[in-house]
Amino acid sequence: MVNYGGDEVSALVIDIGTSSVRAGYAGDDAPKAVIPTTFGFHRAPPDADSAMPDAADPTRSGTGKFTKMYMGQYGPSVWREGMEVTNPLTDGLVHDFEPVAALMRHAVVDVMRCNPTEHPILVTEPAWNTPANRERMAEIMFEEFQVPAFYIANTGVLNAFAAGKGSALVIDVGQTIASVTPIVDGFVLRKGLVYSSLPQLVHAHARHTLVTPTVQRRGGIDLYPHQLITNKMPVEVGAPPRYTLREDRVKGTTESWRMWYEAREVDEWSQSVAGVLEQGWNDQAAASRPPRQYEFPTGYNAWFTSERYSVGEQFFWHSPQLMASNAGLPKTIPALISESLRACDPELRQVLVGNVVLTGGGSLFAGFGDRLSSELARSFPHVKIHSPGNPVERRYGGWLGGSVLASLGTFHQLWISKEEWTEHGKAIVGQRCK
Amino acid sequence: MSSGVGVNDDCLTQFSTLKLGKRYKYIIFALNQNNTEIVVEKTSDSQNYDDFLADLPESECRWAVYDLEFEKEDGGKRNKIVFYSWSPDTAKVKAKMVFASSKDALRRSLVGISTEIQGTDFSEVAHEVVLDKASRGA
Repeated sequence: MVNYGGDEVSALVIDIGTSSVRAGYAGDDAPKAVIPTTFGFHRAPPDADSAMPDAADPTRSGTGKFTKMYMGQYGPSVWREGMEVTNPLTDGLVHDFEPVAALMRHAVVDVMRCNPTEHPILVTEPAWNTPANRERMAEIMFEEFQVPAFYIANTGVLNAFAAGKGSALVIDVGQTIASVTPIVDGFVLRKGLVYSSLPQLVHAHARHTLVTPTVQRRGGIDLYPHQLITNKMPVEVGAPPRYTLREDRVKGTTESWRMWYEAREVDEWSQSVAGVLEQGWNDQAAASRPPRQYEFPTGYNAWFTSERYSVGEQFFWHSPQLMASNAGLPKTIPALISESLRACDPELRQVLVGNVVLTGGGSLFAGFGDRLSSELARSFPHVKIHSPGNPVERRYGGWLGGSVLASLGTFHQLWISKEEWTEHGKAIVGQRCK
Repeated sequence: MSSGVGVNDDCLTQFSTLKLGKRYKYIIFALNQNNTEIVVEKTSDSQNYDDFLADLPESECRWAVYDLEFEKEDGGKRNKIVFYSWSPDTAKVKAKMVFASSKDALRRSLVGISTEIQGTDFSEVAHEVVLDKASRGA
């Protein structure tokens, strides 16, 4: 573990995204705790569990609304009878703070074994976060976690700074939202901020590709996870799978858990197989790429050819028919970029396209960076894309920026201290954290 | 958002020597050892632009001001002070982060800058690129 050698502030940094909550010490080069934001819960405790107290199990804790929450590594991914799963974020914003507080507590207390009352905490927020939301976050930090100091920083700015740029166009592709944020001299240019739920569309397309019956795949592909399969037999490529489901579990599986694991299977498939063509869609080019084999948990395995490239194409191009039939279709990456730049001063546009920062786990999609640079090169003369080759820097860019910032000795003076919070209340958050 | 890094008084003194006294051609600024203050690293009166480029380290971040002199098409002589944020891709994330978030402190205390250049490789700080940018609207 490389330590960036910052001053001893012992601050913690928490970055909350739709896919995961990242927490770690300021000054480190990667978060110590990465736990899924999605958590499992029971509405009413199953009889067997309520009989034996299991306070020692750190993945479980009771809060008001949910009788029992299952978080972290052994959280949603473990099958439990009647367990439902949910995600407290919509469109990258927290809509339910109660489980978020529990998730942060789990990451800091149970995983990192830290006492939050001893460490200043820096939290990140997306550029479109509401003032009410950030004040609520400050309230949770000071009142519930009793932190000595707090700061909330914008992920777009952190990503730009981590790339060494004061002015940049930050393209952040996450699990549910793709956003384009113009940053000028360390501040978000609000009018140029655009985002859409594009990754969800890509996901839906990938899912459609898999489950739709085709000539080769009669009945489509079953997206059962390992948790529900007792045994499976090796089968020939493209042959119908031979597996047995765990009938004892199937009955107790909730709809929300089923949706969640199916989404995971689809994501795993897209991450290993799907890609995007570097130079735009071309049937021949897509067909000439080598096919890739993938095996699903059911044992079904097949070679995927050009279809794997049509998935990534959704990031950059939508067919006119699709757009005509869906008025609310999320905008593509090029559309987001041009909309964002149109809202900016013409003088600034050249500076921004010369300083594009690509970040977010979704941007690790195979071929994404190359395609983006070819799309941009078509419309602008001097394009420079900064995209860290190291996947950790890409996925945790916002966290990493926060980590460096909070580790600076000079950043001390900018923290909102507990005394200031007690004296000024919520108003100080908006004043201090711009 | 800023890092809270301060600016050493010497930076301003040297800058006014460049601006008013015209005794320097360029000044290079850096952070001190423990990243708490911006200090002057080097001042020079070399007229050669390549000397200036040679003073920008290949994989470390710096700021600089350069007193750019050029002639307009109609023969009028102009002097423009250009501010550089030098942050090469090969620099460490920590350095890039600190320099980017501290730039504003330095930039705001220097009065009379006409053009700002954000450089990540030598092509972006080449003489013609900078000249083109500075002479626009001159």
